Amino acid sequence: MSSNRELTMSSYVGIGIGLMVIVLIEVILTYQHLPTRTLLFSVLSLACLEAFVAIMYLMHVKYERPLLFWTIFPATLFVFVFLCYIWPDAFRMFSMRLLQ
Amino acid sequence: MSQSAIAAVTHHEVVMEASPYAMDKKKLGMWVFIVSDACSFAAFLFAYGYMRVGAPVWGTPFGFSSILNGVVMTAVLLSSSLTMLAATHASQTGEKASAGKWLGITMLLGTIFAALHLREWFKLIAEGWRLFYNPAGGAAQFGAAFFSVTGLHLTHVVTGVIVLAFIARGYRQGRYDETHVETAGLYWHFVDLVWMFVFPLMYLMNAH
Repeated sequence: MSSNRELTMSSYVGIGIGLMVIVLIEVILTYQHLPTRTLLFSVLSLACLEAFVAIMYLMHVKYERPLLFWTIFPATLFVFVFLCYIWPDAFRMFSMRLLQ
Repeated sequence: MSQSAIAAVTHHEVVMEASPYAMDKKKLGMWVFIVSDACSFAAFLFAYGYMRVGAPVWGTPFGFSSILNGVVMTAVLLSSSLTMLAATHASQTGEKASAGKWLGITMLLGTIFAALHLREWFKLIAEGWRLFYNPAGGAAQFGAAFFSVTGLHLTHVVTGVIVLAFIARGYRQGRYDETHVETAGLYWHFVDLVWMFVFPLMYLMNAH
C-alpha cells in the first residue's frame, strides 16, 4: 500500500517548486524565438520530465509495488507509440497542401 | 487448504487471493481509468499536432498576458496538488478536521483555476475566435483544437471539484474513509499532470 511515509510535506513543497521552475524554463524558452521544431522538442522533453516526477512522487508510483509500474506504463507507451502512426500522413498533407 | 481458509468457507465467507498490486481496489480502478483517460488526451493532442502540421498558416493568438495567465493557472493547479497531498496525509493520520480543511482549499484552488481558464476563453471569444473561425485569417482549426483540448481538461477540473465536494462531505459524515480521499487525490494529480502537457502545447506553442 502506498504511503506518505517516504516524503514529508516539506519535500513535496520542494517538488512543487521544482515543477514550477520547469514551467518557467518552458516560458523562457518560448520567448527565445527558437525554430518551431526545437521549441516543440524542448517543451515536450521538459513536460515529460515534469510528468515523470509527478507520477513517481505526487502519485506515489515510486512507493507502490513495481508490478503496477510494469503493468501500466509499457502498455500506455505502446498506445502512444501507435498513435504516432498518424504522423506520416500529417506530413503527406504538408506536402500536398496548396502553397501560395 | 489452510485451517483459516477452511474456517472461512465453513462460515460462508468469500476467500480471495490477495491483490498482487497490494493496493485498495478503488485505487487500482482509478489507475485503470487514468490510463484510459491519458489515451484520450493523447489522441486529442496528436490530432491537434496533425492539424497543425497540415495547416498552411497556424494562428498564434496568445500574447504575454495570456501566457502569464497560463503560468498563474499552472501555479494554482500545482498548489492544489500539494494541498491534496496534505488532505491525503491528514486523512491517513486520522485528522478529520485537517483533511476537510485541505480538501476545501483544494476545491477552492480548482475553482480559481476554472475561473482563470474561462476568463481566457471569454477573451478569445471576444476577439472573434470560434470553433471553426479564425479572425486572424489563419487556419480555422485552431479554435476547434484549442477549445476541445482545453474544454476537455476544464471538464476534468470541474468534475474533480464536484467529486472532491462529495468525498469531503462523505468523509466528514463517516461514510467514506481515507482510501476514498487517496483515490480522489490520484485523479486530481492526474488532472494536474495533463495540464503539464496542455499548457506548453496549446499555449506556449501558440504564443506570439
